[in-house]
Parts: sequence; C-alpha cells; structure tokens
Amino acid sequence: MVRAYTQEHVYRHPWDRVTTASWRKFTDSPKVLSHVTDVHTLSRRLDPDQGTLCTTRSVTVRSPQLPFILRRIIGQDSVVCHCVESTVVDARNRSMEIVVRNVSLRNILEVEERSKYSPHPVHPDRWTVFQQETSIRCKPLSALAAVAEKVEQRCAERFLQNSAKGREVMENICKYLEAEASSATSSAAVGI
Amino acid sequence: MGAKNRSSYASPCSQLRAEYHDCFNRWYSEKFSKGQWDKEECVAEWEKYRACLAQHLEDRHLRRLLAEADPAAFPKEEDPAHSADGSSGR
Repeated sequence: MVRAYTQEHVYRHPWDRVTTASWRKFTDSPKVLSHVTDVHTLSRRLDPDQGTLCTTRSVTVRSPQLPFILRRIIGQDSVVCHCVESTVVDARNRSMEIVVRNVSLRNILEVEERSKYSPHPVHPDRWTVFQQETSIRCKPLSALAAVAEKVEQRCAERFLQNSAKGREVMENICKYLEAEASSATSSAAVGI
Repeated sequence: MGAKNRSSYASPCSQLRAEYHDCFNRWYSEKFSKGQWDKEECVAEWEKYRACLAQHLEDRHLRRLLAEADPAAFPKEEDPAHSADGSSGR
C-alpha cells in the first residue's frame, strides 16, 4: 500500500527569491498553515568552499480531525506528528533539495516528501521550477489494516490540500519579497 | 483545540528562535543565495537559540531528533529497549 504523488509548479520569480520564501513558509504564515504547530532548526552546516548549506529542522504537524473509529481507538480528536526536514542548498549550482519524513507514528505510516527548487530551463534567471514527490506508505502489518487505510487516505488528502496552500503562501511571500527588494532599490537610489 | 495548537509559540525559546530565524533569513536572501557564501553569520544568535533548545525542549521525539542532529552536544540517553529485536514471543 503505497500512494505516490508528483507535483510541479513554476514560480515566476528568480531562484534566490523563491528559496528565501521557502525558508519562511512555515514561520511567516502560522495562520494559513495552521496544521504546522512548531518549527525548530536543529542543525546547520555551511561549507564555505563549496557554497553548500545543510540544515535539519523539526516540523510538528497536527492532523485534521480523525475519522470516528480512530478517535475511539486512539482516544484523541487528532494526533500530533513530528517530521524531520533535511535541506541541502547548493548555491553555486542554484539547487535546493528538501526531504521531509515523519518520525512519529512510523508504526502506522511512513511519509516522505522530496522537493526540489531549480532555475527554469527556459528562463533560468527569472523563473523557478518546483518539483515534489510524495510517497505515503502504510505499514502492511499494521494491526488494523482497514483503519490504517483510512489514515493513509486522510493524510494524503490533507497533504494535497496543504501543498496547495503552501504554494499560495510561497507566492505571497515571493510577492512581498519582490516589493521589498524594489523599494530597497529605490530607497538606495534616493540615497536613504 | 484551537488555542492549544499555538501554545508552542509561547515556548521559552520562541523569542530566541525568532531572532535566529530573522538573522538567518536576512543572511540567506541578501548573501548566501546571491553568491556570498564564504562566511557563516548569525553565529551568536544560533548559539543562544541552541542552548535554549537543549535546556527546554521537553518533547521526547524532538529531544531525540536534537540529539541525532548534534551528538556531541547531547550525550545519548541510555536506551536499552532498542537492542536486537529477538523473538517477541507473540
């Protein structure tokens, strides 16, 4: 039981702006991405010779309200899930790769989301391509396979909804950064 | 549920986290992503934030993640349960 999804989106913003927005996605919009309850940076490593930056963040996500049967079994309305996000940015080659995996609830399901931001092949200095692969795997020996299937479906729906919301947040942050950059340029021109 | 979800934003490290993330975001957008990657910045902010996390992170899962991310700073707790998974008997 594996469900896999791939998504692609083109941001009409340059790579440096889009990847900046990606860092700010969870922390700037806590109201929109309300399923994300907490984000911490756990490690960071810069290689100043290669121009690579590696970081690890923890992302805490609250699930939507669980189906009735699960609420009865687990005894909670929703569950909190911890994920680890590992990011590698290669500034020299303008590549950002992000892998998110869940670390809790792994006895029920495993979710892996791989994302990549790279310059658009036709307009490398103006646009950015976002590619994402999500795989959701239910544990075959999970005590209640039928229930697990429900969880899987629920999570999949939520993942798709949230990644659409995430793109919207990203677009907004990009616009904001664009406006900020142009006002900084004009202030600089005026000599403020 | 609503208000409870946000409780983590009032955690003891949220201020230090915000300072670090602000610094990081600025460095990333103004320098690193534009080709100036030779110098690490926000080191003081990072140290303060890390020290706070090490002290206040109460969640067991997050604690383990932190330990894995930086084994030197967080000596592993004794965890005898994770030995070889022999026969469980049932």
